[in-house]
Amino acid sequence: MPKYEKILLKNMEIPGYTGSLADYERAGGYQALRKVLGKVPPAEVTDTVKKSGLRGRGGAGFPTGVKWGFLPKDYQGPKYLCCNADESEPGTFKDRQLIERDPHQIIEGILIACYAIGVKTAYLYIRGEFVLGAQILDRALAEARTAGYVGRDILGMGSSIDIWVHRGAGAYICGEETALLESLEGKRGLPRVKPPFPATHGLYNKPTVVNNVETLANLPHIMNRGAEWFAAIGSPPKSSGTRIFCVSGHVKRPGNFEVPMGITLRELIFEHAGGMRSDKPLKAIIPGGASAPFFTPEHLDVKLDFESVAQAGSMLGSGGVTVMEEGTSMVWAALRLMEFFYHESCGKCTPCREGSSWLVQTMRRIIDGRGRKSDLETLVELCQNIAGRTVCAFGDAEVAPIMSTLKYWRHEYEELIQQAAATEPVKLMMPAMAKH
Amino acid sequence: MLKEKYKAEIEDILSRYPVRRSAVLPLLYMAQQEEGYVSETAMKEIAGILRLTPPQVYEVVTFYTMLHLKPIGKFHVQVCKSLMCALVGSDTLLAWLKARLGIGPGETTPDKLFTISTVECLASCGTGPMMQVNDDYYESITETKLDGILADLTRDGTSSLKSGPFMLPEPAGSQCKM
Amino acid sequence: MPNTIDTDTVRVTIDGQTLTVPKGTLVIEAARQAGVMIPHFCYHPKLKPDANCRMCLVEIEKVPKLQTSCSTPVANGMVVRTATTVVNDAHKSVLEFILANHPLDCPVCDQGGRCDLQDFSHQYTPTTSRFIEIKRVFQKEYFSPLIEKEMNRCVQCLRCVRYCDEVMDVKALAPVGRGTMTEIKHFGSHELDCEFCGGCVQICPVGAITSRLSMYEFRPWMLKRADTICTYCGDGCRITIQAKANQIIEVNSEYGVGRNNGDLCPRGFFGYHVSTHPDRIMQPMIRRNGVLVTATWEEALEYVAETCIALKLKHGPQAFAGLITSRCTNEDLYVFQKFMRLVIGTNNIDSSARYGQVNGVRALRRVQGTHRWTVTFEDLSSANALLLVGTNVTETNPITGLRIKEAVKKHGASLLTIEALVPAVGKISNIANLSTHDFAGRPDQFGTMVLALIKAVIEENLVDSELTQQAPGYVRAIADALGGISWDSLETATGRASPAWRDAARVFAQAKRAIIVVGQGVLRHPGGLGITTNLLDLLLLTGHHGRRGCGLATLAEENNDQGAVEMGAVAEFLPGPSDVTDRQARERLAGLWKEELPQGAGRTLMGILEEAKKGAVKALYVVGENPVGSLPPSSGAKEALQHCEFVVCQELFMTETAALAHVVLPASSYAEKDGTFTNTEGLVQPVRQAIDPIGESRPDWEILSTLSVLMGYPIEYGDAKEIFKEIRSVIPGSALLGPVPTPPRPDAAVVNQYIQGGYAEDLANRYRVPGEGRGARGEGGEKTFTLVLSQSLFHSGKFSTRAKGLLDAEADGKLALNTVDAGTLNIMEGDRVRVANERGVMTTAVTLRDRLPEGLVTFPEHFDEQALSLMPLTIENRTGVPYYRAASVRIEKARG
Repeated sequence: MPKYEKILLKNMEIPGYTGSLADYERAGGYQALRKVLGKVPPAEVTDTVKKSGLRGRGGAGFPTGVKWGFLPKDYQGPKYLCCNADESEPGTFKDRQLIERDPHQIIEGILIACYAIGVKTAYLYIRGEFVLGAQILDRALAEARTAGYVGRDILGMGSSIDIWVHRGAGAYICGEETALLESLEGKRGLPRVKPPFPATHGLYNKPTVVNNVETLANLPHIMNRGAEWFAAIGSPPKSSGTRIFCVSGHVKRPGNFEVPMGITLRELIFEHAGGMRSDKPLKAIIPGGASAPFFTPEHLDVKLDFESVAQAGSMLGSGGVTVMEEGTSMVWAALRLMEFFYHESCGKCTPCREGSSWLVQTMRRIIDGRGRKSDLETLVELCQNIAGRTVCAFGDAEVAPIMSTLKYWRHEYEELIQQAAATEPVKLMMPAMAKH
Repeated sequence: MLKEKYKAEIEDILSRYPVRRSAVLPLLYMAQQEEGYVSETAMKEIAGILRLTPPQVYEVVTFYTMLHLKPIGKFHVQVCKSLMCALVGSDTLLAWLKARLGIGPGETTPDKLFTISTVECLASCGTGPMMQVNDDYYESITETKLDGILADLTRDGTSSLKSGPFMLPEPAGSQCKM
Repeated sequence: MPNTIDTDTVRVTIDGQTLTVPKGTLVIEAARQAGVMIPHFCYHPKLKPDANCRMCLVEIEKVPKLQTSCSTPVANGMVVRTATTVVNDAHKSVLEFILANHPLDCPVCDQGGRCDLQDFSHQYTPTTSRFIEIKRVFQKEYFSPLIEKEMNRCVQCLRCVRYCDEVMDVKALAPVGRGTMTEIKHFGSHELDCEFCGGCVQICPVGAITSRLSMYEFRPWMLKRADTICTYCGDGCRITIQAKANQIIEVNSEYGVGRNNGDLCPRGFFGYHVSTHPDRIMQPMIRRNGVLVTATWEEALEYVAETCIALKLKHGPQAFAGLITSRCTNEDLYVFQKFMRLVIGTNNIDSSARYGQVNGVRALRRVQGTHRWTVTFEDLSSANALLLVGTNVTETNPITGLRIKEAVKKHGASLLTIEALVPAVGKISNIANLSTHDFAGRPDQFGTMVLALIKAVIEENLVDSELTQQAPGYVRAIADALGGISWDSLETATGRASPAWRDAARVFAQAKRAIIVVGQGVLRHPGGLGITTNLLDLLLLTGHHGRRGCGLATLAEENNDQGAVEMGAVAEFLPGPSDVTDRQARERLAGLWKEELPQGAGRTLMGILEEAKKGAVKALYVVGENPVGSLPPSSGAKEALQHCEFVVCQELFMTETAALAHVVLPASSYAEKDGTFTNTEGLVQPVRQAIDPIGESRPDWEILSTLSVLMGYPIEYGDAKEIFKEIRSVIPGSALLGPVPTPPRPDAAVVNQYIQGGYAEDLANRYRVPGEGRGARGEGGEKTFTLVLSQSLFHSGKFSTRAKGLLDAEADGKLALNTVDAGTLNIMEGDRVRVANERGVMTTAVTLRDRLPEGLVTFPEHFDEQALSLMPLTIENRTGVPYYRAASVRIEKARG
């Protein structure tokens, strides 16, 4: 198995590493902050991030430095940074590890970002279910405050930055950056109409940047080792750096694997994740979280970088790679994801609100052996009427499972429908949990 | 009343935000911690503290799945039913819970000890099937482990089988969590 | 060719039509201007775009995805297509999604026939649906006595929720739940408790929220509509009365027309059952053997005519006096005063404008020579700073209140409030919550608060330098007078230290456009005339006076208070208004009327009552006015009427006053006649008949006109229009009908006269701190409270207490009390208390209100029979305005 240098998951592999301030500092932590704060002009920090080619790790992959650059220049009023730790995309569990194992790395990243864009108050919006993560972050922030990394006049260099942990309370949509802002403002987490974008009208209507945990965690390393170093990792120029891929499903060794972008799905699944868990062959892959269209074994040699995955018809998304073995019903899998989207649709836009319940009901009917011939055409049309017609990207995401499974495994749907009238309906094999 | 009991905490929370309304989730958590659910009295009090109308607090409570408007069991067992956990058997986890506790999702045991809910992805996809009981995660659940957890909870109110800080894959040679 | 594009406008092409629109115009609005109607549910011009229904998608050239036209501002050169196949398919698909769960219960839906969903479906969708799943069902729940909710019909556009928040600032509606199960609720399972402005009913594009008052009573095409003006306050809202079989079925208001632009308050929306109330007086009545018995019109009018002629011969015309309510139309008011002056021959005329409006008009005429506002509602919305003094605007003039809310919420204006309101959230919106500088106090403190503000203006060097040059004496005189008042005493009297006043003064003085709004809390309380004059001083000192968009606006409480003054239905004014003593005006009027005017000044309301008690006034002609029910017993109004030899009353209902009359004549309500009302801004607007007169009732002017013929001095008109024509000839330029008022400019000569010396005569009296405030501990150590008669949002005078809908919202009077005071008195919501002073005692239930300042309790005037007995009466010596709305009282929990 090829070995790659880890960046973000490196510290936590040190034996006995607890993620405490002392541990983090011993591993070289807060050196980047010391190096930058008051010494490198903020604009230069932004430039470095731009040059590094760092792109958002939350799902959309927008270049981080460019995003920062959208903040109005010479704006005197308050600006905000929100760290998006609302990790909720099914198949994704990397931020949780970064938070629980190495919280200071994130805090240092936030501080560098705040310094670069002139923010004095940052909120770390963490999904409500991460109770442990929130506790760990609170503890780490307390340590950092005591040590003078957070708060007034940081390291005596004149910058004051406060960071507060803000817990969500159970809503996938709050991972969407404007919904996150609404939620942080104490409202229902409904995505906002854009434009205006958060860069000019964000939290409390003030200029705001929202960055993902993994994105921010990269910053100390970029500051320490330089833009050129980072830019050379992975698949430059468009997919620089490593990605933490979260592999789940029917593999031997599920987990978070930090690898340079650009390795193939085959390498990730068969080398790093140990291959299939049983002798059943691979059937389907979701390469970038629940919102990403399914892949087939044909796609195993697709490179895991933004462009390659997109070209192959899916998206790199949040880095959640789910592997399914032969025998898994694709209709069932699509329904499971559709149920997720139905549950999480905020209800703002008509097509998504009404469409998600319609799609779920039709899918359930097909699974239950009550499908009709016309259903498939209806499913496709409904999906087409949802995608691209909503305020946020949720609409596009929710149709991905049905559209892609219909594309590659249409026969499974047809079989279910054909045998709907038959005395013995198709028996789906349902996965079971282990006994011990 | 929260205001009397948690005066300092409330002040501290309010001091973090330039706009009072932002404190609505933190205060709702405080209320839920206090009573086990968010009561109308609490919503009215929070509305008063934040200068909102009660409907403005109420609409927030109903949007987020972690806030409850009615009392629930002492242990809130939330089983992830999203695809990734389903691939590794979350449906049988629910069946097993039903066999053990006699209740299904949305139900509470007569002794008010357990309430089961199905929830969507809790970011534990590599360690499914999994469930969250109150604040704690329980991962890579097997039949044996589930029995252990339920026994622990009933007996001790907590279980050592819960997850600690997350690490996957676990480094070779490290203590297995389970 | 050089490209010369105005930077404030952009060119856009919509479906092939190119037009120029202001920058920032939304595509949907630009399309409307081009005559292209883009279907939509969630968009409404009053609301911030939410783009949630996705119905208004259009194609924009060079943009890959369809865009929502409701949230996309036009860009220069933009090419928009609204009717391509792609767009049509998108519209169809959204409708298909909405209809998937829609119940199609159109046959029993009150929105049927005027439903956006019906109309768009008709336009776009095939009649078969692909939806074969189970429809979503929301459990039916009782919502409120006035508003019906059918969530299965809801399209989740949230217009109701957004309106309730953005426009009304009430925030009573909550979108509850998530996703497809999102529904509109109030708070848990509680029934709706709010302002009941009806805005949610009006703005709902489908039948999800409807009025319960008219439920199942009509199909829209059965209704006969009349566009008229509301009679419940001085705002002058345009309403559409919809009637069927001479019953008013509903009232609503159209977006885009009227001073209210579609907004209403509960009185306007739900208060329409008064006209058709069974208690209406249906026939004339004559008192025979001490009892009022029905008579024919002929009998009654002949009796009145004969008696009046006889009394006039016996006692002379000065033994007569007339009172009229300013709820009447201008035509009624005009004919009334003409009748009194010419047919009877007396200037003893007064109207309900005497209760406060006259104070405002007199101050304006004195300082700036106008009797109307120099600003408009539009100016209120676009002001940079607004100072409200004693307005209680939400309750008293709700739609003026919306303009103020708009100024603050939409345009970020600074709001200074000197009000009997503490910022606190409650079921009714509280203007103090939007205040940037709030000064809460009792009405008796308002005058001193104004002094503090003026003192701060002077001490912060915010006085207009031009004014200092032009009228140094004026500025010095005020500065000197205020110099004699220490901050210590002001702080004690106002409860606020000088920095707060200085901050407020700076904000007000430095604003580009500043407006002062004065309400009943000033105009109807002791010192009202002087405080209003002082506020004009404030405008002058800060240099705002006379600038466009700046001015002082006094709020009219009754719908035609302003008209009553302008029609000359008050003692001191002839139509115009001109002073009754103004020789030139008298001569001009005599020329037009071809009749001599009675000599001497008329008596005001209190003077008339006084003279009646003394026996000098022997006959009283009352049109809709109710002094016996309105004034406290100590006024002796009842005794005065009992003293009169002859009292005639034109009324809708058997009021306390009518019950004492010798002849009662049934009058028609505003809904049954044509005419005009003049609103608080001074805009004359047409009132149109919506239903036939109830019973044998007749319009007030018609009764007077007939009577004049019988008395041998005919004042005859064919219809209300003819009267209006005469009014226009008598008051040139003043009675222009138009959509927007053209406010007068201050008369420079009058202003100059004022600042060069006119101010001096009462300056010392105006610039002093009145006696110590109330709320202190009395002799026995018992805390006293200031009881103020208040205006409720749900009622207007006692008139509205016969409106079914409004009684559902507020059925009776309760003493409102601050929670802190309630705690001290150990009183809880609903408890009964005994309120007493040396004048009397009342027992009432209590309701708690966080928004009331400590030491202040209020009781709604609409139910004030008991409370009136506690009220002391004083009279403004210059204007004769009776003050009786505040009293010092003791409160204790009622025993038993």
